Amino acid sequence: MGLREDLERFREVGEQRREDLEEFISYGNLGSSDPDSIKIPIKVVDLPEFEYDRLDKGGVGQGQDGTPDAGQPVGQPRPGDGDDGEEGDPGEEAGDHEYYEMDPEEFAEELDEELGLDLEPKGKEVVEEIEGDYTDVTRTGPNSTLDFERLFKQGLKRKLATDFDEEYVREAMKVADTTPREVYQWCRERNVLVSLAWVEDAWDDVPAEERGTWDSFEEMEGNVDQETTVQRIRREGLTEVPFRREDERYRHPEVVEKKERNVVVVNIRDVSGSMREQKRELVERTFTPLDWYLTGKYDRAEFVYIAHDAEAWEVERENFFGIQSGGGTRISSAYELAQDLLEERYPWSEWNRYVFAAGDSENSSNDTTENVIPLMEEIPANLHAYVETQPGGTAINATHAEEVERELGDADNVAVTYVSDPADVIDAIYEILSTEDS
Amino acid sequence: MKDDRIDAQRAANRLEEPVREAAALARKLGLDPYPVNYWVVDHDEMNELIAYGGFQNRYPHWRWGMQYDRQQKQDQFGMGKAFEIVNNDDPSHAFLQESNSLADQKAVITHVEAHADFFANNEWFGLFKNAGAEGDLDATAMLERHGDTISGYMDDPDVDREEVERFIDAVLCLEDTIDQHRAFTAEDDRRDPGEYEDLRDRLDEMDISEDVQRQVFDDEWLDEFAEREREARIDEPHEDVLAYLRDHGRQYDEEKERAVEMEPWQKDVIDMLRTESYYFAGQKMTKVMNEGWAAYWESLMMGDERFAGDDEFLTYADHQARVLGSPGLNPYKLGKELWEYVENTANREEVAENLLRVRGITWRNFHDVVDFEDVRAALEPHSAIEGVAPDSLSDLAALGDDPRVDADALERAREDAVDVERYPWKVLTYEGLAERHFSLVKRQNRGFLERIRRSDLERIARYMFDDEKYDTVEAALDDVDYTAGWDRLFEVRESHNDVTFIDAFLSEEFVTENDYFTYEYSRATGDFRAASDDYRDVKKKLLLQFTNFGKPTIAVYDGNFGNRNELLLGHQYNGVMLDVEQAKGVLERTYQLWGRPVNLMTIVKEYDDHDVEVAQRRNREPEPIEVGTRIRYDGDRFETHDLDDDLRERIAAADVDYDTKPEEWLG
Repeated sequence: MGLREDLERFREVGEQRREDLEEFISYGNLGSSDPDSIKIPIKVVDLPEFEYDRLDKGGVGQGQDGTPDAGQPVGQPRPGDGDDGEEGDPGEEAGDHEYYEMDPEEFAEELDEELGLDLEPKGKEVVEEIEGDYTDVTRTGPNSTLDFERLFKQGLKRKLATDFDEEYVREAMKVADTTPREVYQWCRERNVLVSLAWVEDAWDDVPAEERGTWDSFEEMEGNVDQETTVQRIRREGLTEVPFRREDERYRHPEVVEKKERNVVVVNIRDVSGSMREQKRELVERTFTPLDWYLTGKYDRAEFVYIAHDAEAWEVERENFFGIQSGGGTRISSAYELAQDLLEERYPWSEWNRYVFAAGDSENSSNDTTENVIPLMEEIPANLHAYVETQPGGTAINATHAEEVERELGDADNVAVTYVSDPADVIDAIYEILSTEDS
Repeated sequence: MKDDRIDAQRAANRLEEPVREAAALARKLGLDPYPVNYWVVDHDEMNELIAYGGFQNRYPHWRWGMQYDRQQKQDQFGMGKAFEIVNNDDPSHAFLQESNSLADQKAVITHVEAHADFFANNEWFGLFKNAGAEGDLDATAMLERHGDTISGYMDDPDVDREEVERFIDAVLCLEDTIDQHRAFTAEDDRRDPGEYEDLRDRLDEMDISEDVQRQVFDDEWLDEFAEREREARIDEPHEDVLAYLRDHGRQYDEEKERAVEMEPWQKDVIDMLRTESYYFAGQKMTKVMNEGWAAYWESLMMGDERFAGDDEFLTYADHQARVLGSPGLNPYKLGKELWEYVENTANREEVAENLLRVRGITWRNFHDVVDFEDVRAALEPHSAIEGVAPDSLSDLAALGDDPRVDADALERAREDAVDVERYPWKVLTYEGLAERHFSLVKRQNRGFLERIRRSDLERIARYMFDDEKYDTVEAALDDVDYTAGWDRLFEVRESHNDVTFIDAFLSEEFVTENDYFTYEYSRATGDFRAASDDYRDVKKKLLLQFTNFGKPTIAVYDGNFGNRNELLLGHQYNGVMLDVEQAKGVLERTYQLWGRPVNLMTIVKEYDDHDVEVAQRRNREPEPIEVGTRIRYDGDRFETHDLDDDLRERIAAADVDYDTKPEEWLG
């Protein structure tokens, strides 16, 4: 079909053929220029055109909450910011589609859904003890930490619990032919918190001529309003709050256990002479979504990039996919470096670890069995994966992946996958992530 | 494995009703779209369509592969989701992604109907459409035909495939150097500077004796003659560079060591790619308008007219927020807001004009005597129009023979043959819907009416004769034509392009509210710095980005430069210099289409090192020296010459200025 061929030819442009276009190739990034977003490297061939000089042209920007003052630096203008540049604007001619950006968490969710994965970040949870707010309380302690607020509230509660409208109860005593016990009963029924002793004490203070003012409790209730506690406190003010020893509490800081799910991902790539453009791109296509997925899954993700030929060295992400060296290959060099870096910076007790390596399976003789496999067994990790990128099938002497698979294929933290063209990527990702899942 | 076809079929069935009703609603609202064929596609097919610019077949070229690669990565890594693509064709074809939710699909369909209306009615699209011999646009067939023809050339055993590809690349470097403001014609009907023959050649052919030739046509006379001819040609630069190269271009023959005629396939390739450039020019020239137009009507149909069901409304609101909310200078947002401004302004003029005809209201006392709260209340749509519902149809009927009511539909609705619950708009006419959605009473436009400037009122009042037509404000408002805003939208969508649209309607208010500012490069500090937030400056910079596809204008000035058949291109300098390195790359490829040396006149800004140093010390900008330059490429190497003053005069425009650096900038 036409497009597949166009794509094939595009990949070759400036590399296998059409050297005249080599000077117009750049490797840009997909994704927003937001520093936290993950970028997808992409090859761009920009045919020359009559265009304005970028510096002389200037442009229009949009401020947030006001515009910057004249003369203030505005940073590198982003392509696409009104510039109608090539970046981020595919199919310029059609121009009728709508996009929105997705963040790593959404991406992880989509991928879970797409592949039917349900990888819950597991492994250890990093425990930290920190001093919390003074929220916990004990019954003894220095005066300065006495929780007076609590003492006051408890006292107030107590007062409210024992408070009642004395005048109301005295009125009840004026009901004809009643007794202290009857009044007490009546109080209880109406939730007036009075004791029998109090009623008996107060009984004799009621003047004889007022007894029989009411024919019945009902009549009395119909004519006298009970004053609520709140009304009474408002009227009388809060004169007396019963503080009690048993209500005293002393505050002390709480111990908070903070749990964070950390992950470190070690990406290892063979950059030796045999790793040509197409293989290189397959590595990117596989590693990038894996990195992104794990970023979305964990609270905190860190990445280590190791490039190797016969020797290994640590590189920055922006250089990782671009490097090409001439030397031979010794994969164990990368695992040795990974081991050192992990021990030094990411102790197994605190970090989830993923070690992903990719290459074309070529290795110096016996290095795989004698060095790499023991190292893989030795380095504790949630998952070790090897991705063989070999467009057009395996070469005869490229046996690293096979050997690893033979020796460690049964281990539940080792995955080996083969990617020979872009269509295999999703399967490889599935293979890798579902291994860790099991 | 799921059966994809069944999924697609199911999705299609679900969409049948929304498609039918959206098209009907669009027409009720006054849109006049091409008929649209909708296709439901999966995400891979969508990626392919996007790569091919909205079509299923294009000529073989790696650039589609590049776009496909990007699109696929974007899709694979979840960086962005394409909802739809629609192409400019009659009928239009719209492709909907199968995985969209129903709310998304409805939004996309309303959006597409508005695009199809724009394609059909905007004059800039008409420049191509109306040029076809048979008068109908059949872009799909045209592009497919081009694809087949070019594939044929590539498969031709006598033609090297890579040579065809290389040739296409050369043409693509010049794909925007066409005369997009003129109607497309297959023939190049401009007066042709290339037709000029050197008189010497003709004299040679005429076998005139050397004596006569020496006496009558001496070298001095011949040179003067050639000079006069050249002057005449150069006065009329030829902006359709592609047509010029097609008609007069040659190819350099390595063996014969001279330029020879192009092969027929070469002329044909230029011709086809030029035609495609003209076809796509309409779209490129109206991006802001077209996207804004679609966003405006989508929002009206989906939101205000509730084409989204209640349960879908939230999904839709989210969809819209994402599309309009993306940062930077977003054509959807810019366009939509400009259209709303056009609508509000036209409605405001209509209302103000009627108010100025009330006895006692003049442009001087307008703001003092008019109670804008009362005016707004009086402008609210009639309750029967606003609240169309199955149980209130009798209120509509009570209006009698009213232009706002679609009497036939109302009749049928009362017999329960129209689903008024879901499609209340069916019982209204364009007039009725205009009243129902009258912009000035919408919450977000409160205050727009009273913000009218006194100078605008004075302008309206100046030519008004009948200025005591109404005794009361109520009577004046009763006469307000609610369709004024929409009528104006349709006029503007017919005649404008992005440049004229932004020029006419980008207001100070808009620039300030959106915090737009310009930036310029500082030679003194070596970085980009904010320059101005004056709306005139912002507009100026924006116009630079939209004029001539945001690129410098290049034209053919001479096809026989220096009397040696060299091509002379000129950059029409507007104060912004071009990218010289890229221009050289283009010249190398233009050489492949001309077969003889090619020249480009331009003006380059140079900075004296000493000036820069002084400027840095004093915290100001160095003054550039503008140098007229002619860059010549002869197939092997570049030469740079100073440009003759008379030529320089012809390419330098004196009255434009896109520089927005303030006087005191870095201070």
